Amino acid sequence: MNLNFTLPERELEAVSQAVGEHIRYCVPVDLTLGGQRTEGYFVIGEQKWALLLEGRVVDSRLITDAKEYKVVPLIGSAVLEGDEAGTKFILTRLSMKHAARYGYIAQILNDMSRQRTIRIYNDEEEPVCASCGGSLIPGTRVCPKCMNKAAAFKRLVSVAMNHKKTFAIGLAVTLAASAISMAGPYFQKLLVNSSLQPPPGQSPSVPVFIWAILGLLFVLVGGEGLGIIKGRIMAGVSSQIAADLRKLVYERIQSLSLGFLTTQRAGDIMNRVTSDTDRIRNLVQELFTTAVFQLIILVSASVLLFSADWRLACVVLLPAPLVAYIQRYIWKGVLWKLFRKQWRVYDKANSFLHDVLSGIRVVKAFGKEEREVKRFKQYNAEFAAATIQTEKVFSILSPISNYLIQMGQYLVLLIGCNMILGKQMSLGELVQFSGYAGMIYGPIAWLMFMPRWLSNAIISVDRIFSVIDEQPEVMDSEASVKHSIQGTITFRNVIFGYKSYEPVLKEINVEIKPGEMIGLVGHSGSGKSTLINLVSRFYDVNEGEILIDGVDIRRIEQAHLRSQIGVVLQETFLFSGTILDNIRYSKPEATYEEVLEAARIANAHDFILRLPDGYDTRLEENGGNLSGGERQRLAIARAVLNDPRILILDEATASLDIDTESAIQEALQRVTRNRTTLAIAHRLSTLRHADRLIVLDKGEIAEIGTHAELVAKRGIYYNLITAQRNMSKKAEAVG
Amino acid sequence: MTLKDVSVSEILRPEDGGSSPGLAEAAQIRYLSPDDTEFTLTEGHMLNVKAGGKEHVGVYVHCSFPHTNKRIYLSIRTVENEEIGMIRSLDEFPEETQRMLEEQVELRYFAPEISKVLSVKEEFGYSYWDAETTSGYCRFTVRGGGGSVKLMTASRLLIVDVDGNRFIIPHLDRLSDKEYKMVEVCM
Repeated sequence: MNLNFTLPERELEAVSQAVGEHIRYCVPVDLTLGGQRTEGYFVIGEQKWALLLEGRVVDSRLITDAKEYKVVPLIGSAVLEGDEAGTKFILTRLSMKHAARYGYIAQILNDMSRQRTIRIYNDEEEPVCASCGGSLIPGTRVCPKCMNKAAAFKRLVSVAMNHKKTFAIGLAVTLAASAISMAGPYFQKLLVNSSLQPPPGQSPSVPVFIWAILGLLFVLVGGEGLGIIKGRIMAGVSSQIAADLRKLVYERIQSLSLGFLTTQRAGDIMNRVTSDTDRIRNLVQELFTTAVFQLIILVSASVLLFSADWRLACVVLLPAPLVAYIQRYIWKGVLWKLFRKQWRVYDKANSFLHDVLSGIRVVKAFGKEEREVKRFKQYNAEFAAATIQTEKVFSILSPISNYLIQMGQYLVLLIGCNMILGKQMSLGELVQFSGYAGMIYGPIAWLMFMPRWLSNAIISVDRIFSVIDEQPEVMDSEASVKHSIQGTITFRNVIFGYKSYEPVLKEINVEIKPGEMIGLVGHSGSGKSTLINLVSRFYDVNEGEILIDGVDIRRIEQAHLRSQIGVVLQETFLFSGTILDNIRYSKPEATYEEVLEAARIANAHDFILRLPDGYDTRLEENGGNLSGGERQRLAIARAVLNDPRILILDEATASLDIDTESAIQEALQRVTRNRTTLAIAHRLSTLRHADRLIVLDKGEIAEIGTHAELVAKRGIYYNLITAQRNMSKKAEAVG
Repeated sequence: MTLKDVSVSEILRPEDGGSSPGLAEAAQIRYLSPDDTEFTLTEGHMLNVKAGGKEHVGVYVHCSFPHTNKRIYLSIRTVENEEIGMIRSLDEFPEETQRMLEEQVELRYFAPEISKVLSVKEEFGYSYWDAETTSGYCRFTVRGGGGSVKLMTASRLLIVDVDGNRFIIPHLDRLSDKEYKMVEVCM
């Protein structure tokens, strides 16, 4: 992210008077305190900061005068706030566009005010386009204004080149098909001139008549036949290309780090794999079946028209663009908008219906049936009105648009018949001519619509390649080794934040011995889950290091590392498939016996055998046919099957009732024996078997020790545990 | 179920001005009165409040109904989002305090009103807006596909751009035909 914008010349002078020659950071300001858009800069020098609006320094102070600088996000804007001896003040106001940038600035100001080293790992993406400064499409690095369509297209071509043979065949077939189509009007002329109305001086000829009829038949059958072949080839090729792209995207998504994936919405990623690739398939198919064909027809028909009679050709071609434009306007400007409106009203009525029907118990409980009927009536009427309007307009415009297309033909007949009367043209020639003229309007109208879908498809191409080009943040290096874990985990001066201006973990130093069970305790947001994410190396630390048996985890192969770590989360996710498949997920080659043992350890064996289908029970979506406790036990079995040396339990039993929890507790106790275990739990009783407890507070280790030690200390842990006891006592008293 | 279709009067019912004693007792909302509350503005444009003898610095004013009425049921909160107390209506307070609080409301709820829609171009699932607003000329990008452009009341349109900036079209019905057509496509 850019934290050092270049100041314009005239402003540089004003600033250097305020903060000194050396400017360390400089970021734009786009809002005045009163909420007017403005152009200005917030500048940080060696000792002072300054606020520049419209070229004038309006405020400047010593950085050390205040502390606790922070960005306070408000609704639709944010302010940078400071605290000067207990009095808060606003340094500047900013639009949301710069909120993240000022997060860094606040952090820098804090570090400078406490005279610490500035800890900014400025690797966050700049969310604006580097060349035009406009907003990017979120989740991609695509700037819709500057996107280089040609470059994207080239990438697509390089993928398509894997199928160049099939392409060549398809193209040849397309050429042949268009040549055959072009022969149609010629045979029509032959037919007319040979038998229907021979030109003066010629007598009807039966052989020519037969040839012409056969020719027409050939055009009909051959054209259709080649059309089918062409369609088949292109459908095959385009699906292949789409499949290639899907594979590329999917492979890349799987290899990307959690960091990237969590910043993307699952739906967005789904879209890239499915609809974007499908749009590309459509592009390829359309381009090579329809587009090429239409272009060939357009060009060759025009050439033939001009060579037949250039005056007539002009009459046909001149109005063509106008006709095509009117066509486009009718469809895009009028009909399309109407349809969209109709869909919107339909959507609204639909979601209302969905809403009320799924909440029907609430409606009945509050006796509001009549009110809901009234509201539905309103939606229903709106929808009916919108439909009627669309249909009305459509019924008028649709025939008009059809007539427009045939207008050229009408002109040809008008002039052509005149020419026949003047003996300048034969009937056959006129038939041939109007045949070619009729071929021109289709392609022109089609071409008018092409730019829109072409550019939409190109955006898809770019969105796909933006994923394919994405580099994982966590990567194996060449020096990565396979390491068989013994179980010592050491945190040495670890500092980490998802956004580096907001450290979530600060200076974590701790050594966990092999086989030890560690309970992680703290308020939500204290950094517990982040700590275990780092052990699995879903993210790399910003500073310091994490060692496993003395080896930096950045030097251990990721796949090898994770295969030795078992994870049980609060939200268990089970895939559709059998119970056996799900337990085996962590070790697909596990024997039946191993699976049974893992299930037994996890206290799952008994309930599985009670099921009519045993281990072969097919799970519905995310194990919908099992209870929460059963799902959790399967997750534990899955985690231990691999005999992991390190076990991570993130709120593994939080969502379960007390009875189920104690069953699982028993299982866990068995599981955690001889394994290094990191367990997070809000219900502190869950952690009573832990060897040591680490209490995290605002990203720092506040307390560390055994249960007894921490209780004796009467600190945060003691407070937490008394609070929970009181809660449960109250609950018991009430119950 | 959504409440968006319930009319404002159904939520507010300003005419009854109170609630049943049972609810009030259970809710225990602390209402600030002008007699025991003193608002001051710091030099750095932050609001301090002294209520019931206790001083709070750097507080923010939250609206209960930011789209329908910004002058009633205001909540005075610390930056940690703890409620110090509520104000039933700004009218209860002296004019100077009213101005001060209104300024704070404007600071917190920032949504320039669009006075003229210059152009709205829709492409690739995003719409690109050019508009004159009460805060000056603005260009912004809005994500398509619902959620970003919302009708808050029958004619008040809220537009949230990709960065989280908010814009308001206060009276949809007062747009020109041309403007309305451009905006409608995004709704």
